Amino acid sequence: MNWNQLKTILWLRWRLSRNQFTRGGALNAVLKTLGLIGGIMLVVAAGIGGVAAGAFGLPQAPPNITIMIWDVMIGIFLFAWLIGVLVEIQRSEAIDLARLLHLPVSLQGVFVMNYLAAHVTFSLMLFLPATLGICLGLLCSKGLVMILLVPLVFSFIFMITAWTYCLRGWLVTMMVNPRKRRNVIVIATLVVVLLGQAPNLYINVFMRHRPKAHQTTNNNSTPAQPAGNREMLPPGYVAAHKYVPFLWLPKGATALMAGDAWPAVWGSLGAFLLGAAGLARAYQTTLRFYRGQTEATPGKPQVIAATSASAGAPRKNYLEKKVPFVTEEVAGLFLAFTRSLSRAPEIKMALVTNVIVIVVVGGMVFSNTKNAPGPTISLFIATTAIAGTFFGLIQVLFNQFGYDREGFRALVLLPAARRDVLFAKNLSFAPLVGILGLVLLALITILFHLSPLVLIACCLQLVAMFLLISIATNFFSILTPYRIASGSMKAAKPPAKVILMIILTQVLFPVLALPIFIPPTLGFVSEKLGWLSAPIVDVLLSLLLLALAATLYRLSLGSLGRFLEKREKDILLIVSHEAE
Amino acid sequence: MSFAIETKGLTRRFGNVCAVDTLDLQVERGRFYGFLGPNGAGKSTTIKMLTGLLAPTSGTMTILGENVNDPAKAREVKRHIGVVPENLALFDNLTAREYLTFIGRMYLLPLPTVRERCQELLTMMNLENEEKKLTMEYSHGMKKKLALAAALIPNPELLFLDEPFEGVDAVASRVLRDILKRVVDRGATVFLTSHVLEIVEKLCTDVGVIAKGKLVYQGSMQEVRASGTLEETFIKAVGGEDHAPQKLSWLES
Ligand SMILES: Nc1ncnc2c1ncn2[C@@H]1O[C@H](COP(=O)(O)OP(=O)(O)OP(=O)(O)O)[C@@H](O)[C@H]1O
Ligand SMILES: [Mg+2]
Repeated sequence: MNWNQLKTILWLRWRLSRNQFTRGGALNAVLKTLGLIGGIMLVVAAGIGGVAAGAFGLPQAPPNITIMIWDVMIGIFLFAWLIGVLVEIQRSEAIDLARLLHLPVSLQGVFVMNYLAAHVTFSLMLFLPATLGICLGLLCSKGLVMILLVPLVFSFIFMITAWTYCLRGWLVTMMVNPRKRRNVIVIATLVVVLLGQAPNLYINVFMRHRPKAHQTTNNNSTPAQPAGNREMLPPGYVAAHKYVPFLWLPKGATALMAGDAWPAVWGSLGAFLLGAAGLARAYQTTLRFYRGQTEATPGKPQVIAATSASAGAPRKNYLEKKVPFVTEEVAGLFLAFTRSLSRAPEIKMALVTNVIVIVVVGGMVFSNTKNAPGPTISLFIATTAIAGTFFGLIQVLFNQFGYDREGFRALVLLPAARRDVLFAKNLSFAPLVGILGLVLLALITILFHLSPLVLIACCLQLVAMFLLISIATNFFSILTPYRIASGSMKAAKPPAKVILMIILTQVLFPVLALPIFIPPTLGFVSEKLGWLSAPIVDVLLSLLLLALAATLYRLSLGSLGRFLEKREKDILLIVSHEAE
Repeated sequence: MSFAIETKGLTRRFGNVCAVDTLDLQVERGRFYGFLGPNGAGKSTTIKMLTGLLAPTSGTMTILGENVNDPAKAREVKRHIGVVPENLALFDNLTAREYLTFIGRMYLLPLPTVRERCQELLTMMNLENEEKKLTMEYSHGMKKKLALAAALIPNPELLFLDEPFEGVDAVASRVLRDILKRVVDRGATVFLTSHVLEIVEKLCTDVGVIAKGKLVYQGSMQEVRASGTLEETFIKAVGGEDHAPQKLSWLES
């Protein structure tokens, strides 16, 4: 690739982001400019902070603290970096091979170009000035030997970027098939979320069961005898710094400060070699992908197809099922919606996220409570669990049509009444909400021995809240739909209005959950005043609430249906690709 | 004489662009109408407005005798029309058979009928061996064939087809032409856009040509034939003669 082509590609990249910027509207531009200014300030702050830490902070810290500081820094960087990689995968406008290789450019050229471009991420922009700042600071405070830290930092970054680039290439080859593509994105996102939650989970769930004595001795000894601290680190921790490549940077840096240059030298060399190997591998993956050598074994699908074709009579499919109590239109819509939901990876992800959030929050709350809660308190805990059922589904529920994408056009073309469309949409989420709610309720029942009355009250509340929240979600789905990039949970290039709306719905959620807290609250009051026992009041009021919610829901359907009919063409422009 | 499609002053703007400009269109019932025009002329935009996918900026539209500017009437009319829109209207996560079953049920056909028509259409479109695939895994042409099957399954009185032959293989194209002829023979109306003038010339009974959002020619196929070929009529109507390839001389060097 020659210099002119390189310049053209740089220009292309700049142009792509500029077009996106200028097309976004005024509010978007303002927000993005603010973000940019904030980002620059952060980068400068990182650099200055690094220098200060290197010059004054780090030299005073004992070695095991230094090594931990480095570890934390690297941990944060790696996490942010991985998220950046995922975002990059999801972005469709990245310059990929498929859009360039029909032009007269070489594969190597495009490869190198793309690899370099992958460095332009926010995480690296923060990490590099911070670490280089530290190097500079240490250079001032600890002397010239610290210059060896600079190659160590660069080879560390080289190693990380080369291997993530390799990983990315591998993911991309997996994603050629659209269905696989969505699964890959979802699973990868999930892994990162889980990794991010891991320390939290670890601390909240496991650490609490450890005896406290261990931690206190550790704390006391730290300031007292800094020299003997190396022994205080667990042996596994020390070994890890020897054998895990991305921990060579902390080890090298700490050893350098103690006057030992060899770990830094070996670390630099090792990381560089590993990085080179990673890059070579990445290139090979690219090459194989380009030559189409990644295809899975063909032939198998054909065999299946042949047998099913020879079977003759068409099999009954899911969409032919009868649904009791509802009209034919609602039945058809319900089956199509549930079928789509059951196959959509983003829905599975919403469910799993929900469970993770509940486990983490629940773990945090319950590990803090010393004694088992009294029976009145368990009323509130159960109701909170009911409210929590909806938490992970908010995004999907408040943008019901966004996930239909092109399918929404089919809905617009249908002769069905729009209230039926809304009703079927809500109904299609009922199994999801039901299963999730009942699982949670079962857990809570086991943990807190809920009485059957409370259990009944909770089931009533679950339905009532579902009906109430459906009114709100129908309204907002019609008012502010936004397009979801296929296979992700993210809004595709959302305008500022939509971002505000997403935030608003998150804020609105507790308000929507308020009504179901009325029955347990009044039950609590009634018991305090010596009238009726709390669970009985809870059940009765929940029943009343359900009746009220059902009436409201019924009344809302007609007018919301008309609202949908009025807005459906605008919604279509947004959720399908046409608005761009 | 009642019209299948009638528009008065139909207009649609996108910002400064006037995609469809005061269009007055009349299509009689039982006709096979070819709607022609250069790229970006406003054909797809017209079809979207007529089928309720896009709101007109101004103008009135009457379809099968009903004023479809009224949403309630428009929904009633949708029972009697089949549509293949520009970007299709498939559900990503359904298989072909599931999608066709869904459409059939929504038009309130009895289940045995749905099953029967579904099987026949899938066989005709040569899609019955793709049972396992979701529509999002279909190729462009397969998607189009599925959309055509979906438009045909309720056996509608009026069909709107936006470039139905584009991307479809020769066998399916032949099948489709036969189906459409039979549909018109039965008394239904077909309104299609296409860039393949040979097909339009063979099939259509009427043609309209739109350029820059305005109707620049309308006539029956007999009238067209009387004054030469369809291609000549088309090029004359859109003023394409001045683009003769005397430029681009470097192509020969
Ligand atoms: N969503 C949109 N936003 C902005 N402009 C649009 C949009 N859709 C269509 N247009 C503009 O309207 C005009 C007519 O487009 P239309 O798609 O109707 O053309 P067409 O006749 O179907 O062309 P083709 O033969 O290429 O399919 C074009 O100038 C196009 O740029
Ligand atoms: Mg078009």
